[in-house]
Amino acid sequence: MSDIAISTPQAQMTRTRSAVGSLRIVQTACILVIALVIVSPLFMLLIASLKDDRFQILADMGSFRAFWVSDPTLANFAEVGNFSGELAFGRYLLNSLIILALTVGSGLIVNSMAGFVLAWGSVRGRALILSLVIALYVIPQESIIMPLVIMVSRAGMTDTFAVQIVPWIASPLYIFLFYQFFAQLPKELFEAAQIDGASIFRIYRSIFLPLSLPALATVSILMGIESWNQYLWPILVTQTDYARPIAVAIATFFGQDSIYWDRAMAASVLMMLPILALYLAFQRWFVSSFVGSAVKG
Amino acid sequence: MASVTIEQVRKQYGAVPVIHDVSIDIEDGEFVTLVGPSGCGKSTLLRMLAGLEDISGGQIRIGGRVVNDIAPKERDIAMVFQSYALYPHMTVAENMGFALKLKGQDKAAIQSRVKEAADILALEPLLDRLPRQLSGGQRQRVAMGRAIVRHPQVFLFDEPLSNLDAKLRVTMRAEIKDLHQRLKTTTVYVTHDQIEAMTMADRIVVMRGGVVEQIGRPLDLYDRPINTFVATFIGSPAMNLFNGSIVDGRFVTDDGKALPLPPGYSGGAARTYGIRPEHLAIAESGIPATVGVVEPTGAETHLVVKLGAVDTTLVIRDRVDVRPGQSVAIAPDLAKIHLFSSQGSRLN
Repeated sequence: MSDIAISTPQAQMTRTRSAVGSLRIVQTACILVIALVIVSPLFMLLIASLKDDRFQILADMGSFRAFWVSDPTLANFAEVGNFSGELAFGRYLLNSLIILALTVGSGLIVNSMAGFVLAWGSVRGRALILSLVIALYVIPQESIIMPLVIMVSRAGMTDTFAVQIVPWIASPLYIFLFYQFFAQLPKELFEAAQIDGASIFRIYRSIFLPLSLPALATVSILMGIESWNQYLWPILVTQTDYARPIAVAIATFFGQDSIYWDRAMAASVLMMLPILALYLAFQRWFVSSFVGSAVKG
Repeated sequence: MASVTIEQVRKQYGAVPVIHDVSIDIEDGEFVTLVGPSGCGKSTLLRMLAGLEDISGGQIRIGGRVVNDIAPKERDIAMVFQSYALYPHMTVAENMGFALKLKGQDKAAIQSRVKEAADILALEPLLDRLPRQLSGGQRQRVAMGRAIVRHPQVFLFDEPLSNLDAKLRVTMRAEIKDLHQRLKTTTVYVTHDQIEAMTMADRIVVMRGGVVEQIGRPLDLYDRPINTFVATFIGSPAMNLFNGSIVDGRFVTDDGKALPLPPGYSGGAARTYGIRPEHLAIAESGIPATVGVVEPTGAETHLVVKLGAVDTTLVIRDRVDVRPGQSVAIAPDLAKIHLFSSQGSRLN
């Protein structure tokens, strides 16, 4: 007698389950590899910031020793955390925080107001203005940077905080983001507020702005990262330590004669923390919105 | 409270007219419903009354004051929207008190007015909740509370019950009617549901294609519709209509069925014969018909019978023992016959 393989529904189900299981293992492995590739430089940065020998840091790079510290120390952080002197990184960090807070704070107000007016105000030529806003977005920042430098120099604004904040407050991208968010809110909310007696500014402030937390969070994070990572602009408009941000200051570790890897790593970790905190504070609003409860049952 | 006068009002979007010279007089304290099929212009007219749409021509007066160019907030009106339009980030109390806060009233006055409105609508236990924590019916009541807290001259309702289920709609219908009887505030109520219009209104305005077809008390519209559109739009099930002409003192339908005319009717121009379902009865002698569908509802029985080629509906108050396919004889109540001209206008 020959063996006959009989395929029962149960056997088929078992085979399907095992195929799905194998696929999951492959998927998980791929995700782990990608996560490792992304996280490993950050981990290496953190480990290196805890080593006090800059030559050892350089020697460890390229091997697994870059991911291990046998004798961790916070000396690098203490060295770069000063508010005066040659390594006044505390000051640079504070400068960056001031620039970030004022840019994001005023950016949220200006861009959200512009987006709201475009979405709900009585604006003649709304379509044309929106087209211009989108057209402005595609112009790279670098292409307008030299005329901007000339303008701010003539205005006597160089080496100030204002020069690092004012030009970047209004942004076509964020105006458009707010416009899109506000435009999708129900028209009845606007009309109900009108009948209740609210002016357009009051409708913006009391009704639409509190409902736009997801848009505010998104713009805060994007604007915060943009402001925090500014490098070319501060180099061109700052000459002294007075308003110099940390991104520019870190570059001073990479001198022609020597590179201070230990201090650079500690400063980089310090630089990473505020923007990470900003992201963690706002990320939960990225996808959540409770506007749906406003209308219908 | 105030009267509302809509005089020769027109509305057009670009070159497209949507409201054609509409005139309606609404008395102080009256409850008027604007009813009509989708796209008839009833909501547009209400929004023009609220100041949310510009007026292309004519005049709107509230309490004798022309409000054509007056902003919504200055019109002393309150509106309840189909979608409720509650502010999602504010509690029920904040939603209700928002208009008063904008008027600059002090906290104590706002609290007292909100409490008064909450008492009327049984909303007190819900005052600290957010709209998302409420059911559809509760949200609807909050929307009404937001309107009544302002003590406006006119209430405007834009299909406020259309998002509710059938049972809740009946309850809310009664609540709104009760509220109007208590407050006596002039109310303009838009609906596409003729039952809502019939049960709630002091007067009904029937609209079609941006034109007022008929204005009148609910039962007047029901008993004496001015044309075939109103005749079929008001009443459920709808009035039965037969096309034909008068021959030898009887109305002969296009497929040859002879229907009796009202006693003493001598006109000859009738081209449409109308009879409401409850004014047809099964009789021992009458017009022969064949039973198509039998729908017992408990209180009454709906029958659809074939009268010639026309599906004809009867509403019988008692229970009847008939089966589909069975032949019956039906007879109209002669005093309740409606006759219309070839243009659809009422003749008798």
